[in-house]
Amino acid sequence: MLEQQLINGLTLGLIYALIAVGYTMVYGVIQLINFAHGEIYMLGAFFCVTFITAVGLPFYVAICMAMICCSLCGILLDIIAYRPLRKAPRLAALITAIGMSIFLQNLALIIWGSRSKPFPQMAVPGYLKEKALVMGDISLTWLQLFIFAVAISMMFGLFLIINKTRIGTAMRALSQNKTAAALMGINVNFVISFTFALGSAMGAVAGILVSVYYNTLYPTMGYTAGVKAFAAAVLGGIGSVPGAMVGGIVLGVAEALGAGYVSSLYRDGVAYAVMIAVIIFRPSGILGRSVIDKA
Amino acid sequence: MTKGKLLLLFIGAGLLTYPLLPLSSDYVLHVMTLAMVYMILAMGLNIVPGFCGLLDLGYVGFYGIGAYTAGLLTIHYGLPFWVIVPLAALNGALWGVLLGAPTLRLTGDYFAIVTFGFSELVVLFLTNEIWLTRGPLGLPGIQPITLNLSWLNKAWYFEFYEKTPNFYIAALMVALVYFIMCRMEDSRLGRAWYAIREDPLAAASCGVNILNYKVIAFAISAGIGAVGGCFYARWSMFLSPDMFKFWESFLVLCMVVLGGLGNIKGALLGAVILVCLGEILRESLTAIGLPAETRFIAYGLIMVLIMRFKPSGFFPAVASSGRSNPLLIDLQKRLAAGAAAKEKSRDSAA
Repeated sequence: MLEQQLINGLTLGLIYALIAVGYTMVYGVIQLINFAHGEIYMLGAFFCVTFITAVGLPFYVAICMAMICCSLCGILLDIIAYRPLRKAPRLAALITAIGMSIFLQNLALIIWGSRSKPFPQMAVPGYLKEKALVMGDISLTWLQLFIFAVAISMMFGLFLIINKTRIGTAMRALSQNKTAAALMGINVNFVISFTFALGSAMGAVAGILVSVYYNTLYPTMGYTAGVKAFAAAVLGGIGSVPGAMVGGIVLGVAEALGAGYVSSLYRDGVAYAVMIAVIIFRPSGILGRSVIDKA
Repeated sequence: MTKGKLLLLFIGAGLLTYPLLPLSSDYVLHVMTLAMVYMILAMGLNIVPGFCGLLDLGYVGFYGIGAYTAGLLTIHYGLPFWVIVPLAALNGALWGVLLGAPTLRLTGDYFAIVTFGFSELVVLFLTNEIWLTRGPLGLPGIQPITLNLSWLNKAWYFEFYEKTPNFYIAALMVALVYFIMCRMEDSRLGRAWYAIREDPLAAASCGVNILNYKVIAFAISAGIGAVGGCFYARWSMFLSPDMFKFWESFLVLCMVVLGGLGNIKGALLGAVILVCLGEILRESLTAIGLPAETRFIAYGLIMVLIMRFKPSGFFPAVASSGRSNPLLIDLQKRLAAGAAAKEKSRDSAA
């Protein structure tokens, strides 16, 4: 029982980690909580299903197409909503982010309808549904293994991009000092757009994986997932990419254990309570920098 | 009195006498009362993002706390409305302090997300603690507002089931909250809040205890939210956890943003505009076959566009007390007269 809960929690946690990375990267670069990131995650799932049902693309191609579309959405979001407000007070950008989140969510509601849909099972390769491993009470499906593999390899890829490439160096420079980075010849707006694209692509994958895992998708799915992923980012220390991964896993496991052993009614409450507790008692998170307002 | 003020007075008087007219419709009265509930909420929320410059996404949590405090106290103990209002306000403010004291020392982003988490926890609590709140079934049968003056005259015991008396009680409460807000804005408290919003470092070095003033702001805002909820509970006579979801916080925030952050009159007008817009959209969206919730797309758009093109709203706050100061007005007049005289003398010299 415990092992099964741990496995389920780990699956969920890796997905949270994929979303949390998007929050934390954007926060690291422009110090903005991109509330609309949860909506990008939702759009990813819907794009994928639309590509499968309307265009008839195979599963893996549809995932790639959805990633590309979500990256474009992320870039558009930055250009339309956030770029004009770079010099405005923080509050203005935060309010815009909330506004964009609500806007996108309702746009999806209008386009795809408010009812929850199943993921088209025909398109999902059959072997993903089979059990990969059965040991006593514990079972592990190929789908869960697929989620592990995708999440971990994407995280590794992200780690390489951030630490080993020129643009990753530029991102890190930007998160330390924007002005100095600009003076060194870094194209600030390009790097910010790239960060949005990267985060959005990972968010889209997370959305698709969740909708396959639970076999359901609906326009408001980005709302709770977004907040939980943000909680994961805070837990790990916002602005820190490895922190987001650790935070996501911890939160996913905590949620699965909380739902299994405390009360399943408060499943979502676990995430919020963890988040509030972390912010109150250790606001810098597990791996983050200090965030106490100096003023 | 200027022409504009006279016009406002006429409109206000006209609206206040509306329920007494023979043609008044119950629907319009209901919408007007609802608008007034939101006016109270918008004024209360305005303190935190408007005066202090902090984003509060969990305002509806305090509204819900106030409403359920009122509902439960009414059902179980039968307390009169006038006793419940201060109790609910205290309960709201207490939670405001409990939540605000540890989190307000962090940067504003963290505060925003904590308030959000808090309001979600409130909804979860209201939904799941069935022994107390009856959960998703809701809390029906709350007594309406009563006025017990039987100690003066045996016949003076009133139960306000009708729309009209509720309308006037709401108007009274809006006026009261408005008065309090205006006094606060011009007081030491209000000046400290503005100073914190404009430059926390400068405010701190002038001796403003930033954390204390922020916590006070958050507690007062929470208290006013609870008062709004208290009236709502006794007016609608039914409560359910669904009424206190994040959407409500968003709606109230949108009202404040639309009217202009930090502008009390703007908050009032924002509430009226958005409640009316909401009713219109609800009708027209269902007419074209879309679910009524999609009206939030308009609110989202409003927020984005206002922040982009008119960040201080349509009624930007100006230092109003300075403009109505007779000494300053006199000085301005004399300066203008002096300038005109100089101009004249120069003309004649040329």
